[in-house]
Amino acid sequence: MNIFLRELRANFKSLLIWCGIVILFSVVGYSKFSAYYNNPELLAVVDAMPEAMIKAFDMDSFNLTTVTGFYGIMINYVALMLSIAAAMWGSDVVAKEERDRTVEFALTLPVRRSRLISAKLAAVFVNCMLLLFVSWATIIVMAQNYAPDTQFYNFVSTSLWAFFFMQMIFLALGIFLGAVLKQHKRAGSLAVSILLAAYFASILTEVSDKVSFLRYFTPFKYFDAQLMLREARLEGGFALLSLLIVAVALAGAYIAYSKRDLYI
Amino acid sequence: MNIFKYEFKTKLKSMITWSLSIYAVILIFMSLYQNFAEQTSLMAEMMASFPRELLIAFGMEDMDWSTILGFYGLAFVFVQICLGIQAANYGFGLVSLEETEWTADFLLSRPVSRRQIMTSKLLAAVTALGLTEIFIWIASLVYLIIFRGDELIPLEPMLLLLFSLPLFQLFFLTVGMLVSLLVKRVRSVTPLSMGLVFGLYTLNAFGDMIGEDSFEILSPFQHFEPSYIVKYNSWNMPQVTIGLVISLLALAASYWLYGRRNIASAV
Repeated sequence: MNIFLRELRANFKSLLIWCGIVILFSVVGYSKFSAYYNNPELLAVVDAMPEAMIKAFDMDSFNLTTVTGFYGIMINYVALMLSIAAAMWGSDVVAKEERDRTVEFALTLPVRRSRLISAKLAAVFVNCMLLLFVSWATIIVMAQNYAPDTQFYNFVSTSLWAFFFMQMIFLALGIFLGAVLKQHKRAGSLAVSILLAAYFASILTEVSDKVSFLRYFTPFKYFDAQLMLREARLEGGFALLSLLIVAVALAGAYIAYSKRDLYI
Repeated sequence: MNIFKYEFKTKLKSMITWSLSIYAVILIFMSLYQNFAEQTSLMAEMMASFPRELLIAFGMEDMDWSTILGFYGLAFVFVQICLGIQAANYGFGLVSLEETEWTADFLLSRPVSRRQIMTSKLLAAVTALGLTEIFIWIASLVYLIIFRGDELIPLEPMLLLLFSLPLFQLFFLTVGMLVSLLVKRVRSVTPLSMGLVFGLYTLNAFGDMIGEDSFEILSPFQHFEPSYIVKYNSWNMPQVTIGLVISLLALAASYWLYGRRNIASAV
């Protein structure tokens, strides 16, 4: 419990900064959206288009004259920010003890190594949940001016699950890297490389259908915004895949850390 | 000179890693061009018939992916992200690493002024960044030529794109350095540089989709936006100036701050 509280306190500043980034981002986004909300010219254009074309280009889902469509565009960027935060926290929380030369002290405490990891995991998990909560609250509160309907609320709550899975994947990967890599300095940079590679893969899948198999390798593409909007659900298979990744990474982290040769 | 050599040597490995990974990014991306071009020619025809407001609203206004340079512009954004992180890493770590690793007091006991230390370190970082850029230039040119088919590549926008990289990296190098000198202690560099680069990237990418300019004029991703360069065949001069002024101010402020910095030491 003490370790948990200590980690929470140590991460508090970083949490505040990330909350600030998310809030600033939403404020900027919504202020821009206000120019499009119920914009008569745009509405006229959309109305004049044939139904089939609207369907073909998914314009009904990402129609920028409604708050729901706006959120459909915003969703990718929120996911990106939450994932980065999770990856950074995860890779830092274990590795930092060796970096700050405090690992000997931490391990002389009368707790097992697995308990240490659990406490640290719990602390960063709480951080991720708080950040998720702040994002949710900001999105909902700022949407109040734009007549959100039930579809919007369903969309937002479904997307929260998608965010949750992405956060957990990157958090678990980060902790895994921190526990496994011999050189503590590598954990952060490797976590960054994985994140960049995943993001790059998600761009590639949009560019060409030849590489659609890449979808399985990038959490950014696990959860389709269309499906979340239309049917308010996630793809079960990808949710399972996420859980599997998280479970394997965490198990690996516990096993590796209990045998870890410390770098002092 | 010794400091320069030492600093450059410590950056060598990271420089090579960055160069090779960005090279891979360009190669993978460009090799998809042929496949993509077939799909888009149809799309482009359809989009030409759309009203302009609609294209703006759906973020498709400046898109011209049917030419190889427009397509390269897509990859270019990703190259920018990578180069931005590299530059920000160097910037955040430039002088703060000495304090994190408790070597600052040793360094400052050498018979050189702080100004000289800073200059040598900066030169080493700039050299490493410059070499990365040269590598990227060559890789981009080679793959543009290989994958263009029988298309002609307009020379001027391509050169403008490629030559925007040094200024782009300068921004992240100097701003990173300034931030590292403003805070008391930098514990670890990566979260900071990730936050800075991706923060500015999302600000621009998202802000660009809709509405008027606001905060994103602060983002170098906006200053050197590839779609703008390709479309208008020139840099967005007022914005490039904003970026350059920010970089120079950050540079001057860093020298000033480092000259009077209270250095943390182990004892």
